[in-house]
Amino acid sequence: MGIFSYDFDWSVLWREPYGHLMLKGVLTTLHLSLLAWILAVALGILVALSRVSSWRPARLLGGAYVQVFRNTPLLVHLFFWYYAAPLLLPRTGQEWLYNHIPNYAYWAGVVGLGAYTASRVAEQFRSGFLAIPLDQHHAAYSTGLTRIQTYRYVILPYAFRLILPAFTTEFLTCFKNSALAMTIGVMETTHTAYYIDSFTWHGLETTTAASLVYLTIAVVIAVSMSVVEKRIHIPGMITRGR
Amino acid sequence: MIEIEHVSLWYGKEFKALDNVSETISSGQTVIICGTSGSGKSSLLRCINGLERFQDGKITVDGLSVQHARTNIQKLRSRIGMVFQHFELYPHMTALENITLAPVRVAKKSKQLARKEANELLSRVGILDQADKYPGELSGGQKQRVAIARALAMKPKIMLFDEPTSALDPEMIKEVLDVMVDLAEAGMTMVVVTHEMGFAKKVADEIIFMDQGKVIEKGNVHMFFRRPQTERAQQFLSRILV
Amino acid sequence: MDLSVIVRNAPFMLGGLVLSFELAAITIVAGLTLGIILASARLSSKPVLYYPATIYVHFFRGLPLILVIFWLYFLAPVILGTSVNEFTSAAIAFVVFEAAYFAEIVRSGIQAVPTGQVMAAHSTGLSSLQTARFVVIPQALHNMVPALVTQAVVVFQDTSLGYVIGLREFLRRVNLTDAREARSVELYLFAGLVYFSICSLGSLASQRLEKRRAEGQ
Repeated sequence: MGIFSYDFDWSVLWREPYGHLMLKGVLTTLHLSLLAWILAVALGILVALSRVSSWRPARLLGGAYVQVFRNTPLLVHLFFWYYAAPLLLPRTGQEWLYNHIPNYAYWAGVVGLGAYTASRVAEQFRSGFLAIPLDQHHAAYSTGLTRIQTYRYVILPYAFRLILPAFTTEFLTCFKNSALAMTIGVMETTHTAYYIDSFTWHGLETTTAASLVYLTIAVVIAVSMSVVEKRIHIPGMITRGR
Repeated sequence: MIEIEHVSLWYGKEFKALDNVSETISSGQTVIICGTSGSGKSSLLRCINGLERFQDGKITVDGLSVQHARTNIQKLRSRIGMVFQHFELYPHMTALENITLAPVRVAKKSKQLARKEANELLSRVGILDQADKYPGELSGGQKQRVAIARALAMKPKIMLFDEPTSALDPEMIKEVLDVMVDLAEAGMTMVVVTHEMGFAKKVADEIIFMDQGKVIEKGNVHMFFRRPQTERAQQFLSRILV
Repeated sequence: MDLSVIVRNAPFMLGGLVLSFELAAITIVAGLTLGIILASARLSSKPVLYYPATIYVHFFRGLPLILVIFWLYFLAPVILGTSVNEFTSAAIAFVVFEAAYFAEIVRSGIQAVPTGQVMAAHSTGLSSLQTARFVVIPQALHNMVPALVTQAVVVFQDTSLGYVIGLREFLRRVNLTDAREARSVELYLFAGLVYFSICSLGSLASQRLEKRRAEGQ
């Protein structure tokens, strides 16, 4: 059978220079995903707030943002930010970009992944907002809180607890999606695995290792999120949907 | 008709839902079970038709032991009708279809015969004109009456009611209770878990008061209301009677 | 803005959509079938069925699709002994991957049917099989259709990942055109527009189904 005639060489994973490359790749996955996530949450909350705003143009803009990002693949976004976006800058802008940001692919990845994930985060926050009865707002206003204070002290913390499970899943998805940055040249985990194969023909070992990396991330996120959930749990409050 | 002998039921290792309950219900009797929430009333009811498994004791219905390996539980259940607090009508079927499903599939009746009998039952409970409506189009009182008709369709010898009016708006309670009074006066053996004391006074042959899985008091309905023997029964009555 | 780039190369690029649709269709049919089997195993009380299915689902849901595509691309020749063409390799990867997602949709659809329904059916004497057939499955299907349609849209978007193993589907053709013509802005906006149009139709259908489902409640 084929699998026995394959010559496994697991040392590829730690032998220099490959071991070093794998490590760098994993770290790249980690920081790219985290940066994109921070962008996604910040942007996502803004979009969600605009979608529930009483000002119609804001609602339409927010709605359009979500619809556009939800119906186009992440890969198209990454290509757009990497290949097309610089061309939209004036010549001087482009020159500055190419001269001062050598790893532009990385930043295109962060922005592309962040903006894409933001649309999904926005939807989750919005469903959290909508699940909170209007009377909660009224109760807060009747004690004198302003709109902004109400959102900051009452609505957002409440909404956050409601959506935490979906939020956790989205966090993991962000890490998984970071793998797509390889298509614009970013040397993250998956790309590194593929790259090492082109030198050593031991792609099976490297992709297996890469799989383990992602699975570990998934487990770590799941475990830490259940710790977080326990910490912020309010007795009697249902944080999980049935 | 129904012999409950020293039945105990545990959920998990700690919570004892039923504690050494014994009771005999004769043919044609109407027995009311009341008590505090969590007292085991619903669990007891569900043990009678095998929807819940108890760990200790024995229940015999019409000569058949409920948990005996050789008892055909499906056949036994056809002889017992059950009405639920939340109606549990099948939302994807009309009222008529809800009623004819079991007669056609279990009792192997022809569709015409089943439909004829279903129509008779619907007019008996007063809603023949709703036969082709879906549960979503019916009021609570109408739904519960369809549920009663559905339970009666298999021509049961015993009817079990689990808080049949607790989920109804006040103005619809009477129409359901009227149907139940008719059934009792026609000689059906009934076990009813309820807080409707007016109904109890009208038709009950015996009332059982339960608390924390045990039968605290049982006896004649009028005696129970006028002179409750135990302190817990007295507390209970003082709380529910205005 | 030079729109003639799009017009000139449209036949070539749009021709790739045929492959995208083929891949999506195979994935949906085979993936849903496998997903139903996995969901049934996950709902079973027999450990020999439950554990493998659960591990499978958690495993594939923890990995990026792009990695699964590569992994299978390396693995398939080793296991099968012969080299495999890109389309087959991609198709296997997609089916195996998406099945895990379909499985969860099917499973939640079934679990969303209230247990009271099962109790009511049993109380009238219906057997477990009859209860499943007449009471649970019709309601479960009703529950899952919107989510299944959404997942179908996701599958279609995911076909763009065939790119990484050289599959000449739509996005790769856009990319090739860009390499030749260097008019990235127009071309990628065009790509976005094409995906947007197709997927919006799917999303709209799903939303309409969801509305009808909520009304029927």
